[in-house]
Amino acid sequence: MTTRVSRRTLLRATVATAAVAGFPLPLRAQAETFKIGVIHPVSGPLAEPGQACRIGAQMAADAINEAGGIKALGGAKLELLLGDTQTKPELGRTEAERVVSLGARMLLGSFDSGSTAAMVSVAQQKRVPFLVDIAAADPITANVARSVKEGQQKLQYVYRNFPTGSSFGRKAVQYFTEIFQEAGVTPKRVLLMYTNDLFGQNQSRGFLAAYKAASPPWQLLDEVISWPEPPSDLSTEVSRARAARPDVIAPITRPASAQLLLPEIARQRLDVLGIVGPGSPGLYEAGQIATLKEHLEYVLTSVPWPNFQNPRTRQVAAEYIERTGGKTFDTNSGYSYDAMMLVADVLERAKSTDPEAIVEAMRATRYTGGLMQYAGPVVFNEIGDNPNAVPTMIQILNQRPVAVWPKDVARRKLVFPRPKA
Amino acid sequence: MAVGLTLIFGVMRVVNFAHGDMMVWGMYLAWLLAARAGIDPYASFAVCATVLFALGWGVQRGLVQRIVDAPHEMQILLMLGVALILENLALLLFGPEPVRVRSALGALTWYLGPLYVDVARLVTFVVAVALTLALAAFLRRTDLGRTIRAAADNPYGARVVGIDVPRVYAVAFGIGAACVGAAGALTAPVLPFQPALGLSASVVSFNIVIIGGMGSLLGAFVGGLLVSVAESLGAVFLRPSLKELVSFSLLIVILLLRPAGLFGRRTP
Amino acid sequence: MTWLALGGLAVLAVLPAVLGPYALSVFINILFYAYLGQAWNIVGGYAGQLSVGHAAFVGIGGYTAAVLAAETGLTPWVGMLAGGALAAVLGGVIGYLGFRFGLRGFYFVLLTVAFAEVCRIVASNWERVGGAVGLYITFTGDPRQMQFQDDRAWYYIALALTALATAIVWGMERRRFGIYLTAIREDETACEALGVPTFRHKLGAMVLSSFLTGLAGTFYAYRYSSLQPGAVFGIPLSVEIVIRPIVGGAGTLLGPIVGSFILTPLAELSRAWFGQGGWHGAHLIVYGVLLVAVVLFLPQGAVPVLGRLVRRAAP
Repeated sequence: MTTRVSRRTLLRATVATAAVAGFPLPLRAQAETFKIGVIHPVSGPLAEPGQACRIGAQMAADAINEAGGIKALGGAKLELLLGDTQTKPELGRTEAERVVSLGARMLLGSFDSGSTAAMVSVAQQKRVPFLVDIAAADPITANVARSVKEGQQKLQYVYRNFPTGSSFGRKAVQYFTEIFQEAGVTPKRVLLMYTNDLFGQNQSRGFLAAYKAASPPWQLLDEVISWPEPPSDLSTEVSRARAARPDVIAPITRPASAQLLLPEIARQRLDVLGIVGPGSPGLYEAGQIATLKEHLEYVLTSVPWPNFQNPRTRQVAAEYIERTGGKTFDTNSGYSYDAMMLVADVLERAKSTDPEAIVEAMRATRYTGGLMQYAGPVVFNEIGDNPNAVPTMIQILNQRPVAVWPKDVARRKLVFPRPKA
Repeated sequence: MAVGLTLIFGVMRVVNFAHGDMMVWGMYLAWLLAARAGIDPYASFAVCATVLFALGWGVQRGLVQRIVDAPHEMQILLMLGVALILENLALLLFGPEPVRVRSALGALTWYLGPLYVDVARLVTFVVAVALTLALAAFLRRTDLGRTIRAAADNPYGARVVGIDVPRVYAVAFGIGAACVGAAGALTAPVLPFQPALGLSASVVSFNIVIIGGMGSLLGAFVGGLLVSVAESLGAVFLRPSLKELVSFSLLIVILLLRPAGLFGRRTP
Repeated sequence: MTWLALGGLAVLAVLPAVLGPYALSVFINILFYAYLGQAWNIVGGYAGQLSVGHAAFVGIGGYTAAVLAAETGLTPWVGMLAGGALAAVLGGVIGYLGFRFGLRGFYFVLLTVAFAEVCRIVASNWERVGGAVGLYITFTGDPRQMQFQDDRAWYYIALALTALATAIVWGMERRRFGIYLTAIREDETACEALGVPTFRHKLGAMVLSSFLTGLAGTFYAYRYSSLQPGAVFGIPLSVEIVIRPIVGGAGTLLGPIVGSFILTPLAELSRAWFGQGGWHGAHLIVYGVLLVAVVLFLPQGAVPVLGRLVRRAAP
């Protein structure tokens, strides 16, 4: 893929211009490529994860193309048509329409659940198979599955390889229970704190629902503290947390709010066994560690995590660091990378660019080459979600994030309760 | 940051949506100076203010001045364009990750029994007070300051007595931007920032200016305090995620009852 | 003039036959924002009461229809009207307070912004309407649920809405109501002195404008399949609504339409040309520069300039 405005992009833009003017140009008659629309929020408030996703997908496509493209399609190279949603749902739809009109045969995206939902209608309407690389709101796939079940739609074109809010919650509650058991403690005052944006609220709902369903021996406080994103100050929230005398804090953050929350917890000297996140960004990225330093040490989070036991993962991660100037290969880049690899796997089995054939191959997926930590092969259930997409508990130890739970994937022994300062 | 807005607005009656993004640029300048030259933001804010002064001057001279006679709403549009450029230039140059400037003071906290004082915030506060006072003195005591106030009160009259009104506007706009730049540098150690922060910064800033009073420096200052106290109370007695509701409700009430703000002159 | 407008409408009516799918979707956006701009134009342009909180009405309208559909199974075609009505109520409240207390200019701008923000915060914290996660609409392709297998349906809905709003404004211009509004914009004090019931007229403009904007909320919800507080109540959407009529010429009949035909393609083109490579955000810089350029070259709006050109060409 080219990364600058090149002749190819200009040509593509010309085609787009022509399409606006209502004069459809004949598509480029060149060596066969398989075009795929890759849409993420690379500008606007969610630019940071959006850019990570785009780079992850580009790296995977480069790797596939270098290895000879899609063999079952005569070595067709993958050509990415990139889109930017700016986190606006209406642009999710417009960008999807744009790349489809430029010849995209599949869609990949789009991190933000709102834009993703808007892309779903394009996929269903235009019969373009859509692999959701990241987006946690449950209804995205569930709604389509329901309308197919009720006979309003013939076929489901939307599949997701990412944990949903509710599966995130179930796993987090399970890991909390196991970690506490391992440490020989039964906290009675676990305090949930979350950022009240789309992702934060979705995560906290999943976590609370799973907690109610599992009724584990440890106990969540009734009080839940949430703040608007981006916050300008969290001292009152932390004072409130302090007054609740928690023994474990379970924060769901965004990078910006994590940068306020953790120093504030230290400043107000909250005496807790540890900080254990049910799953959110902000607690493990290279930039966050560089800024927060000691405040992140011993923090645990349950997030989708690359399987670094796999040498291929380590290789890609090293490449990613080089390509991004020092960012870590983690949740977002990793899931987008896997999604593109999954597309290649599906195409190899579909042996055709026909949307129905692609969907059929998608449904028959049993992919084991993923770089992320899965609970089994990538498969799609009746809703179109991968039940084996699970988070991993990671911990910041010596200023580096490492997998510490479940035990069989742990690369270090977890440290909990955290040592007294 | 509210101080900068009051000045620009008091003088120009400009609705400036680019203000938040100018502040973010002040933060990034402080960040660059800290990262590359090792200058603490509490020292580098003067540099940031100077750079932003030039930016504000340029925007006024090069853009705003050209459409002075156009309908008022055109200026909003112009500032939106400038805001878009500033935000995305920051995205292009500095990347999307939220960053924070580490100041030597940032890690310091004084404990007084059960109370604690965040030293960085205290210093930010003190410097902001000093700047506000200096600005007020400048506007009252110096010739240039008096000219600015005259041009704000009555541009036509100012022109009659021989004041170069466009130049005065440019200086005022520049000073406003400089305040915003200084505010950005001063808040950089206490507030994480990213390019997309501009919009919410602008909104908070409007809020403060209105509650305190348009065209009143003391008002902007008191408004700033009031908003933060009201939000804290909201966070204590309601859900913290509702705290912004308190400040916006306060804004609505103040708008209705005292549209010129708590310390403003009556509506012009 | 009339036959010109009808000719334009006829061209727009047959346009989908020659448009590709992406061009169609761009035209849907153009018409959708032209409609929103026209609705805003009534209070923001003609009456000169600058509202930068119109997203609140989009949000209320969309949420009402979506919640009614989810909880009672009511078709969004009816829910749309209910949403419009609720939006009109909110518009009435904002207008009543703002005009009764005599807020003008920038103060009115802030009042509308503050109300929209209050709506956003309430929706983000209200579980019943989905909270910050929002509401998600199932794509069924069933026209009874305002879902279409063919995008041309959306095009004609947007076109019909735009034509409706434009016809309303056209009629308004010709009645005492519209003339009074323009007079209020030009000199409110003089109007009051002459005994024009300014309060009633401004309030009427606000209610009409918010009702029409509320209808657009249902369009938004069902076309884009979801509602999130940040997206539908947020300032960015309010700004999108405002900028097109201003560029076209606020308070002119064709301003919102011309403005949308200028700005929407500019945004699309800058994204298509500069949104590709590794320079994230470059397309928005380009768009910002274009916006500034448009303001500098058309400081009075596009329609007055076009009008002059037309008059010069055909004296």
